[in-house]
Amino acid sequence: MDFLTFHLILAGLANGSLYALVALGLVLIYKSQDVVNFAHGEILMCGAFIGYILLEELNLPYAVAFLLAVLAGGVLGALIERLAFRRIAHHPHITLAMVTVGLSFALKGLSRIRFGMDIFTMPPMFAGRVVKVGSLAMSAQSVVIIGIALALTLLLFLFFRFTSMGKQMRATQQNLTGARIVGINTGAVFSITWALAAAVGAGAGVLAAPISLLYPDMGTNYLLKGFAAAVLGGFGSVPGAIVGGYIVGVFEMLFGGYVSTAFQHTSAFCIIILVLFIRPYGLFGEKPVHRV
Amino acid sequence: MRMPQFVYSRWFLLGVFLVLAAIPLVTNRYTQFIVNLCFVYAVAGIGLNFLLGFAGQFAFAHAALMGIGAYATALLCYRLGVSFWIALPVSGLLAALIGAIATLPALRMKRVYLALMTLAFAELIQWALIHWKALTFGTDGVSVPAPRLFGYAISGDYAVFYVILVVTYLMVALARRILQSRIGRSFVAVRGSEIVSLCNGISIAETKAIVFTLSAFYAGISGSLFAITLGYLVPDGFGLFHLVVHFSIVVIGGLGSMMGAIVGSVLLTALPEVLRGLQALQEIIYGVLLMVFIVFMPTGVVGLLKKAGILPREVLVRDWQAAYRRFKAGNGKSAGPERSADDGEYD
Repeated sequence: MDFLTFHLILAGLANGSLYALVALGLVLIYKSQDVVNFAHGEILMCGAFIGYILLEELNLPYAVAFLLAVLAGGVLGALIERLAFRRIAHHPHITLAMVTVGLSFALKGLSRIRFGMDIFTMPPMFAGRVVKVGSLAMSAQSVVIIGIALALTLLLFLFFRFTSMGKQMRATQQNLTGARIVGINTGAVFSITWALAAAVGAGAGVLAAPISLLYPDMGTNYLLKGFAAAVLGGFGSVPGAIVGGYIVGVFEMLFGGYVSTAFQHTSAFCIIILVLFIRPYGLFGEKPVHRV
Repeated sequence: MRMPQFVYSRWFLLGVFLVLAAIPLVTNRYTQFIVNLCFVYAVAGIGLNFLLGFAGQFAFAHAALMGIGAYATALLCYRLGVSFWIALPVSGLLAALIGAIATLPALRMKRVYLALMTLAFAELIQWALIHWKALTFGTDGVSVPAPRLFGYAISGDYAVFYVILVVTYLMVALARRILQSRIGRSFVAVRGSEIVSLCNGISIAETKAIVFTLSAFYAGISGSLFAITLGYLVPDGFGLFHLVVHFSIVVIGGLGSMMGAIVGSVLLTALPEVLRGLQALQEIIYGVLLMVFIVFMPTGVVGLLKKAGILPREVLVRDWQAAYRRFKAGNGKSAGPERSADDGEYD
């Protein structure tokens, strides 16, 4: 494998980690409430701007700013669930999807009031540093992104596997009525699901901001790539979303490196189309069974 | 007092459009331009309502398909010198064709895939309009020649209005005809329950394909009218923000009601004009309006009017009153359409 390919793959893994985190948030909400959260890109954008305010305007240390932004994302997610989604959970699917679309534009407008049409830059965690392994050089930010993404994934895995709340969440996803009958507080489960998904999204936003620049429309691109990742993983499978994210990231970089950077933007669409033609239920998904 | 069913009859519709033809008597050039936009958005709204309101499918491609229609008209007329009267139907058909090809694989899947696919499609089209300069002139924009009829150029907002009025009338009449047919009822059946529809011999994938193509056709025609209304096209007019305007038109007007799209476009076309240049405020207002209406008033303004008895229910059966009389005359023994006299209301 030559040098260029290797570098493209490493850069792809860093971007892919972000897509994996976005896809993770989408899949978590989709599994628990059967709705695609079209406001997820804007949650990412909000996370990034909160990180920016804490870091650049309040001059907090990076780690503190990151954690606070993640926390704020979690609170935002829980608020959205509690104030909006709890009371419309039984509505038709279109209603839920439309509410997330409305929400996404309302959030975008709010951030535009504060930040206008400008494009902001955010310094990376270790500005200008490069991590060298042998002859390979990698920006420190990429290493941080990959590291944090892997750590978050591992934490979530442990959470779902071993904690009581994680098990309750899985039970609720599998059978809502059943979970209620055995005494699970499904309202709390939904709130925590949204909080988790939004916190992961906000974290991805803070990590993404130094790479992608900050502006109120930044979420759409990540949302699309997250969709591509989730579709590739079978929409509904958490490991699938993560693997899908990395594949989308690497594919996009290789495509940009060897075919055309101009067409890099279209990669999300190409992947979604290809998956639907070749393997409609993704790498990890199963053909659903219809119940009446 | 409930208005009689008469208001949905063919002749009443024609009469309304004849009255509307007098609008230019009371407008100045600017308000006439807004009125033209209203009609353009009404056509787009009717198309989106087929998909969103009647068939209950969630898709993001409508603004992009309108862009395809608009650019098809502009480029056909400008580059190839094709007559507008040919470019108009071609734009609609092209939007329908591209829309159908792009979404066919998603139609046999769970409903989320249509939304994901069309969102990616919308971004792709927006990207292509900006970057495919060799075809679209990119952000430089392209000017749209005025349509010509019998050697006269139809230019200016007043003249263009009559083109738009006639086309809108035809599109409304077509929509009414389709909705009162077996196909229109199958849209509503698919929205109600896919499994029940399947058990009643309705092909789900086929119905979804028909409704999506139909809505794309309306988007294309509306785009074509949009092109001659503006006279000059740039790519920003067809992004996701404009889709939210379309969503608002349909949701606030009334999902699953043909009147809804028309009422919605009248109510909402003026709003961006009032808030011109304030993108942040527009986004917040549209976002919040969408959320409030879809949760608290999913039948929109038209639903409220129907509940108050001002508007009658829209019946999805042709000449249902005659059919109902026949049914009564036969002492209720014949398989009359009494039960199928259902309407398209969203619930």
